[in-house]
Amino acid sequence: MATPLEQLVGHYERRYPVAADGLVIGCVGQDVPVELVTAAGALPVRLAGRPGTDVTEGETYLGRGVDPAASSVLTRLLTGEYGRLDRLLVSRDCEASLRLFYAVRELRRLEPGLGLPETYLVDVLHLPHWTTTRYVEGRFAELVAVLERWTGTRLTGPRIASAIMAHDARRDLWRAVSALRRDLRLTGVQALAAFGAVLPVVEHNRLLRQLLKSDLDVHTGRRIFVTGSSHDNPEVYRSLEEAGCVVVGEDHDWGDLLAARLVGEPTLAALVERYQYNGPTAARGSIADRAAHTARAAVDCAAELVVSYVRRNDDAPPWDFPAQKEALGRHGIPAVMFEHQEYGSIDLAEVFVG
Amino acid sequence: MAEKLLASATEATRYQREWFQGLHEPVAAGGPLALVNADAPQEIFRAMEIPYVVNQWWASVVAAKQRAPHHLELLRERGYPDHTEQYSSISLASLFDPEPHNAPWGGLPRPTIVLAETVGDGGRKIFDVWGSRPGITYYALESAAENAVPVNWWDLMPHDWEKAVGTARLDLMVSELHNLIRFLETTTGHVFSERALRRVLDLVNEQAEWNRRSRDLIARTTPSPLAVTDSIPSVMIPQWHRGSEWARDAAQRFYEEVEDRVRAGAAVCEDERARLMWIGRGLWFDMDFYRRFEERHGAVFVWSMYLAIAADGYPRYGDDPLRTLAARFASFHDQLYTPPWSSEWYVKEARLHRVDGVVHLVSDDARGSYFTTRALRAAGFPVYELHADNVDTRSFPETAECAMEEWLEREVVRR
Repeated sequence: MATPLEQLVGHYERRYPVAADGLVIGCVGQDVPVELVTAAGALPVRLAGRPGTDVTEGETYLGRGVDPAASSVLTRLLTGEYGRLDRLLVSRDCEASLRLFYAVRELRRLEPGLGLPETYLVDVLHLPHWTTTRYVEGRFAELVAVLERWTGTRLTGPRIASAIMAHDARRDLWRAVSALRRDLRLTGVQALAAFGAVLPVVEHNRLLRQLLKSDLDVHTGRRIFVTGSSHDNPEVYRSLEEAGCVVVGEDHDWGDLLAARLVGEPTLAALVERYQYNGPTAARGSIADRAAHTARAAVDCAAELVVSYVRRNDDAPPWDFPAQKEALGRHGIPAVMFEHQEYGSIDLAEVFVG
Repeated sequence: MAEKLLASATEATRYQREWFQGLHEPVAAGGPLALVNADAPQEIFRAMEIPYVVNQWWASVVAAKQRAPHHLELLRERGYPDHTEQYSSISLASLFDPEPHNAPWGGLPRPTIVLAETVGDGGRKIFDVWGSRPGITYYALESAAENAVPVNWWDLMPHDWEKAVGTARLDLMVSELHNLIRFLETTTGHVFSERALRRVLDLVNEQAEWNRRSRDLIARTTPSPLAVTDSIPSVMIPQWHRGSEWARDAAQRFYEEVEDRVRAGAAVCEDERARLMWIGRGLWFDMDFYRRFEERHGAVFVWSMYLAIAADGYPRYGDDPLRTLAARFASFHDQLYTPPWSSEWYVKEARLHRVDGVVHLVSDDARGSYFTTRALRAAGFPVYELHADNVDTRSFPETAECAMEEWLEREVVRR
């Protein structure tokens, strides 16, 4: 009988294809309000790329100036690697996601024979203003109508409330997972699996609760906090941990940032604010907010070193780094940046110097 | 440096120098100065008589003076990247220049406000750095996106912009403009008058109409009466002064000068054998590039986006001045960089100008080139993709020119 951790890792490593009774809706980016997908009775499946595989097809359409993680996602969409995807929701969590949306939209117009699913852009914006909230409210209302059309299910207040509570429960459980990791009872690779396993939310929550009650080994290693690009796969974490580190925290949206903010109350208005204000991600947060958040989170994790890992063509993280380094320095935490890294790998030659 | 053929280009440059010199004194005395992105609503500043410098214009001056490598090095020294969004970040380096008196045109006066939309991932960060400096406020505008858009934006934009842009984006931009106005009123003491804005919008539309006449005239004239190196300063310097009578009149003078040349049968290249289109930002560090193919191949660059977007991208007519202004900028970026708007517009322009080939500058950034190149090729236009950044000389391949000449001979001139 597999342990809860083994089950979560299994669901993470074999994320696709998924089987579901209702619609399977592929989601690109962390700004898709999965609560609404759940409320519509569909299964939201966040799409990850696959490092180490040929991304020529995606790169053909997106160009060589886009984060290769997005090129990988588009390649997998085009080659059908995700299996059944009935519809696609793309968020605007970073420029690469937006460009992916435009490419899919244009390919559906020009080459309908490719069979790309009907796609909708969820344009969540993040400036901290009420005017932005009003805009996102309008976009969420449109999304409700789209989901109702797609699924034939009316998104009533009670349905939305129930879904919000289920997903907030998962965020609470993820926070507990983060605490376990800070106690070194999970590695960074294992935590990514606990965050990213593809399951219906209720099933995911059940496994996470079991994980929290289970006996877990205690790991040892240099405590590393990861900032910079996001990690939709565990390869970079695995490289760091095989080199004697434990990734005790991160500030990207396949990890701790997923649970940084709860919806808090079961209403559409609260859901809007949660997505507008969740973060700060590298692509959408300000330099000042990122520096403050990274320093606070690294301190909370008792990190000995902060590693800013920056993939090729991921434009935002290098701009954050000087202010992050300065903020971390005030807490005596050193920081190092690795730029121009290839998707899924890190050049470790310099990490442990000093 | 190619000699300027047109008096309007020489006059525009002279005016710009004089205007720029005049900025230093009031700014030194504590007056406000804005640095604004090219696709931001500068008309608000014009109406409130707050002087502004366009970020990308200043970058073009720095690059033209071969100072871009120095500026990129200044960024690197401070730990900032020198390999992303160079066109937008070069002006920032002026803040760090230890010898500003050696900078072009006496240097960029220190702005008090910087204004930009949150386009891309790195763009807003550049302005965050501006805003972290003492005495400078970064005012960020949202940049929204739309799910479905009608393709023919160039037909719809002048009057039917609500249909082209979409109500959600317009509502957001209008609310952003309301807040911007209140912010400027509060922080500068300058007054916003709706009457003044209406006058500015009228002048911008008049200017755009002159540009449309110039574009159409050049499009239908063979051989080409002028080179893009002439049209760019004649169009773009007035563009950064749009909403002023000088800019409107400059656009008219440009048209009349082009018309005179057409009537006189003047040609930039007597032996014109190929009409070329340049897609992408200007190659500011080597503007002679555009002229080097005339003598050997009879190939003339007759098209750049600068005149074409001035003709199609700016006219907006409407009763509500703020909403009309919002319609100019709520989707400006899409006109140039987002398919199907961008790709179909380039095809429309290629046909209008009856070009024989297209050189497409493809920067190593997220905007991509595939759909534009594909649309042009599908419409029968040979396309050469030149992979380089428009201000970063390090990115320009040494072999590019030879390869382009081979392409010209192989696919364009001998067609």
